[in-house]
Amino acid sequence: MSGSSTRALARSELKKILTTRLWWGLLLGAIGWTILWAVLSAAFAGVEPGGGQPASPPLDTAEAIRSVYAAAAFTGAYIFAMILGITGMTGEYRYQTITPTFLVHPKRQDVVGAKMIAHLVVGLGFGVVGVLTAVVSGGVTILARGFELGFGLEGVWSSIGLTVVAVALWTLVGIGIGTLIRNQIAAILTAVFITFLVEPLLSFALNAADLGSVAKYLPTSASTALLSPAEVGVEYLAWWQGGLLLLVYALVFAGLGLALSVRRDVS
Amino acid sequence: MRREGQRIEVTGLTKRFGAVTAVDDVSFSVDPGVVTGFLGPNGAGKTTTLRCLLGLVTPNSGSATIGGRPYRELDDPVGTVGAALEASSFHPGRSALAHLEVLAIAAGITTDRCGQVLAQVALGEVADKRVGGFSLGMRQRLALAQALLGDPSVLILDEPANGLDPAGIAWLRGFLRALGSEGRTVLVSSHVLSEVQQTVEDVVVLSAGRLVKQGRLSDLDAGPHGVLVRSPEPQRLREALADFEMEDRDDGRLRVLGCTPEQVGHAAHRHGVELHELVAEPSDLERTFLAMTQSGRPAADAAAGAQQ
Repeated sequence: MSGSSTRALARSELKKILTTRLWWGLLLGAIGWTILWAVLSAAFAGVEPGGGQPASPPLDTAEAIRSVYAAAAFTGAYIFAMILGITGMTGEYRYQTITPTFLVHPKRQDVVGAKMIAHLVVGLGFGVVGVLTAVVSGGVTILARGFELGFGLEGVWSSIGLTVVAVALWTLVGIGIGTLIRNQIAAILTAVFITFLVEPLLSFALNAADLGSVAKYLPTSASTALLSPAEVGVEYLAWWQGGLLLLVYALVFAGLGLALSVRRDVS
Repeated sequence: MRREGQRIEVTGLTKRFGAVTAVDDVSFSVDPGVVTGFLGPNGAGKTTTLRCLLGLVTPNSGSATIGGRPYRELDDPVGTVGAALEASSFHPGRSALAHLEVLAIAAGITTDRCGQVLAQVALGEVADKRVGGFSLGMRQRLALAQALLGDPSVLILDEPANGLDPAGIAWLRGFLRALGSEGRTVLVSSHVLSEVQQTVEDVVVLSAGRLVKQGRLSDLDAGPHGVLVRSPEPQRLREALADFEMEDRDDGRLRVLGCTPEQVGHAAHRHGVELHELVAEPSDLERTFLAMTQSGRPAADAAAGAQQ
């Protein structure tokens, strides 16, 4: 039993997540939020918002179906996935379990690496549940409006698959934020404040100022690009570029956090 | 069962937090096979020293090794060293068993072992209960169980008696003595001398970040023990105690040498002398300790001030 294997460490981290109740609270939140988004986007697809603004694509287009099944699931689940990642790190400091964690395995970079693997696994689970939720609740709404479910339309399945990946990647962003800001409440508030308020406003302002070429590199825009969204007045990267960029964001955050946590005193 | 421990060696250890020097050029060693008390008032730097020893805190200078190697370079840390640092390193929502299983999985230890160590610290019946509902004493025992998980040959325990009731402290004493007698290295910190006085053989005393004393407790605790006695009839008392060597003290008490409080009490009783106070004089170590805990900034600091 000399030196723990990455596999053992990742299993330990997975057990950490699953032996407290937070994960399913967050999952319930993701489900609720996803239902809201999927039902709303299916209910209002193709409806003119009034005031002479252009309507979103109607429900018989691939764009609309993708936004009900994929974009709604992503929007509904990624914040909760991010919070899972944040608490996976900050919880260790909040409850001082970081002490036994580092005593069992003093090579801290291995621990953070194993944490990422475990959170990716749970994050994939969040993504799958999110997509299922969106397909069921959005699908019911689509049928109720008299449209077809539209699974055969272009890019629907690939968007659904990439949604699962994008949601999982946000757990890594969360771990990165959690290693940077060790106070749990501060980390969650900062992250939610930035993703809910600062980033959309920034994106809106950049697009309004014809700087869509800059806005599309923001983390949430990059994630949305992964889902091949309808481009209504907003620019996005190609899906694979968005995916790569999101991965880079996740790794940069986590790398920064890792560099800090390896040297920092635990007291 | 023998479990041969390894030697702990701390050399010139210094740790500063900003402007505060928590540990100041401290050197000592801890031998296997005995229980060593790591003593000093709160804030003396004990916990920081232990955290440096366990690779959790990086010292500014000096080294701390176990069997000649820093903790972070041990091949099998959990199987070599068991540590219980504070009774609060638990997620309140996780059960006692799950807490240990998380660590056992990471260390590659079979999860059966978790039930064993819980039984060993008498927590078997609450294994599946959430730690949030545990008393401080139960958390202390869970921390001990965690330390024992890898059946380590070195045990490092920070204030394990905190929050224990007298029965718990008695249990802990037996427990520590048994671990030491198996040949393990046991280092146990405390800010209360009397808590460990009956358990430890060696002591390392820290005060204001500096080493004050190190050695056998029997040597440090020896010295001229006297008995202090006070009576409203001092002259009659002196006559009753004529067999013993004695001296008057400024505070009106009589210091009797080479005897026990029992002998003094017996002599006074036989002569019908009224006593108002009868107390064994504290040992050298006890006096040092008392002075440290009372003044807060004790002798070591004053000496340092004089040198500067």
